[in-house]
Amino acid sequence: MAIIFGEGNLLGMATALELKALVKQFPTARVVDGISLNIPKGCFYSLLGPSGCGKTTIFRMIAGFSEPDEGEIILNGRRLNGLRPYERPVTTVFQSYALFPHLTAYENVAFGLRRRGETNFDKKVRDSLAMVGLAEKAERFPANLSGGEKQRTALARALVLEPELLLLDEPLSALDPALRKRVRLELKQIQQRIGITFVFITHDQEEALSLSDRIAVMNKGKIEQIGTPREIYLQPATRFVAGFLGAVNWIGPVGVRPEWTRIGRTAPGDVESVAATVETAVFLGDSVHVHAKTADGAVITAQVHDSAVDYENGEQVRLWWDKSDELRVSQ
Amino acid sequence: MKHLRAMFLAPSVFFTVVLFLIPLTIIVSYSLRTRGVYGGVVDPWTIENYARLFDPLYGMIMVRSVLMSLAATALCLLAGFPTALFIVRNEKHKSLLLNLIMLPFWTSFLVRTYAWMFLLRDTGLINSALMAMGIIKEPLPLLYNETAVIVGLVYGYLPFAVLPIFSNLERLDKALLEAAADLGAKPWEAMFHVVLPLCAPGLRAAGVLVFIPCLGAYLTPDLLGGGKSIMIGNLIQNQFTTARDWPFGSAISLALMAGVMALLIVLIRRDGEEAL
Repeated sequence: MAIIFGEGNLLGMATALELKALVKQFPTARVVDGISLNIPKGCFYSLLGPSGCGKTTIFRMIAGFSEPDEGEIILNGRRLNGLRPYERPVTTVFQSYALFPHLTAYENVAFGLRRRGETNFDKKVRDSLAMVGLAEKAERFPANLSGGEKQRTALARALVLEPELLLLDEPLSALDPALRKRVRLELKQIQQRIGITFVFITHDQEEALSLSDRIAVMNKGKIEQIGTPREIYLQPATRFVAGFLGAVNWIGPVGVRPEWTRIGRTAPGDVESVAATVETAVFLGDSVHVHAKTADGAVITAQVHDSAVDYENGEQVRLWWDKSDELRVSQ
Repeated sequence: MKHLRAMFLAPSVFFTVVLFLIPLTIIVSYSLRTRGVYGGVVDPWTIENYARLFDPLYGMIMVRSVLMSLAATALCLLAGFPTALFIVRNEKHKSLLLNLIMLPFWTSFLVRTYAWMFLLRDTGLINSALMAMGIIKEPLPLLYNETAVIVGLVYGYLPFAVLPIFSNLERLDKALLEAAADLGAKPWEAMFHVVLPLCAPGLRAAGVLVFIPCLGAYLTPDLLGGGKSIMIGNLIQNQFTTARDWPFGSAISLALMAGVMALLIVLIRRDGEEAL
């Protein structure tokens, strides 16, 4: 049984999506191995894990592209199992955006409304494009849109249908890093404004931490931990979670993140410290990462926020940290 | 470097000149001469042969050829699209199925056309089966008419329709179908609004690949049409054989070629070179 922190409803809100003991067996592996989740209404919920952890399979089962071997998918009280993708009140922003290349941005957004038989959709389409800042580019074809514009068109196309749940499958991974940060902020603002439940599939811990109300960290088809970004970063339940969300120095069973590891030529008199020899000091602009080797061979990284500080290779240093900053994990 | 380039270009230049430009020049010169009594061409030079193209008798044959080719092309696309779709979706046996599509090319087209005659004639398989079952009393007139020719053309050129549509469908991003379903499109709606429009270049290429050889076909109308519903190809053949009118035969050939080239230019302007 996975260790679960903060289970239950966020802010006392009702559950939107409930996954009950989902199992998906592939010929070589059990890619989803008994996943149970409660996703509160209006929540920005991330499924975070490395590739192959089962998060994409879960996304495909929620969207209806794949059926679970066992377990149930319940959205706002309605069982989705067995419903075709076009029967589910769920829409998706695909990793590749999957915009229809023969249709303009406008027609891409109108696609779902037309399938519903709506005829008076012009205002909805225009509003939706305006929401993502593409009002001026409605008549452009996807080939004439930038990566960020395509991504926003895909978002408008999915949101215009007012789904009960929006799935986002690594939607930022095809963008360049600078754009990714900007789009990330926009995504969060849009979600907060419209209040639709977002389920965000990602392998990027920074994205998950910065966007989510709640994160489920997955590994090998199972959930390692569920919690708020702070909970899973500050109180990781397992060694895997601690390591996946950020760098950790492991000193025996105790983990300390580099940013909480202090370094000095001498330690303050009253604290317990470890002797180490500097191996390399990497200058990163806003900080310096000093890698130092202890007597028993462990390499510990200390992040020094004063960029002016410099250490010579081979220099003898002391490392120490607050007991309260230690990560206490189960495995 | 320059010598090397010339060396590599030489074979293709040689073949283009010997196999294409020289024969073409001969045909052009024939089309502008006068017919000899026993075939061949004699002086004087004339444009009379081209003027005869506008004779309603020949015009009718040309119109009929175009209409029959269009019908055969439409049927090839109608049958080719679902066939190609079936093959693309059949991940396991894809290459087997593609090879089956090519299989007819392993035997002579002539033999295969004769096989159709054995199927369609009054005492053929279809008529004798229907009569044996008591469904009909008199044999149906299946052979030696325009329908038989169109059936033969569709049979002969269907693989040329399947292959370009197949390669178009194969390149289609499967995520687009998932996106369509995700946005509420039922499978037939996704087919109609996403797959078909995106498959238009493949369908156009298939149409050209079927229409052009249909237009020039002469074996199929000769054998299955029984000489009654002749097409341009038969007309040209007749000029070089029984009619002994080589200059007129050459003029028809060149007119056909010009028509096909005009069609190709229109399509290339539309889809670019890769359309073909």
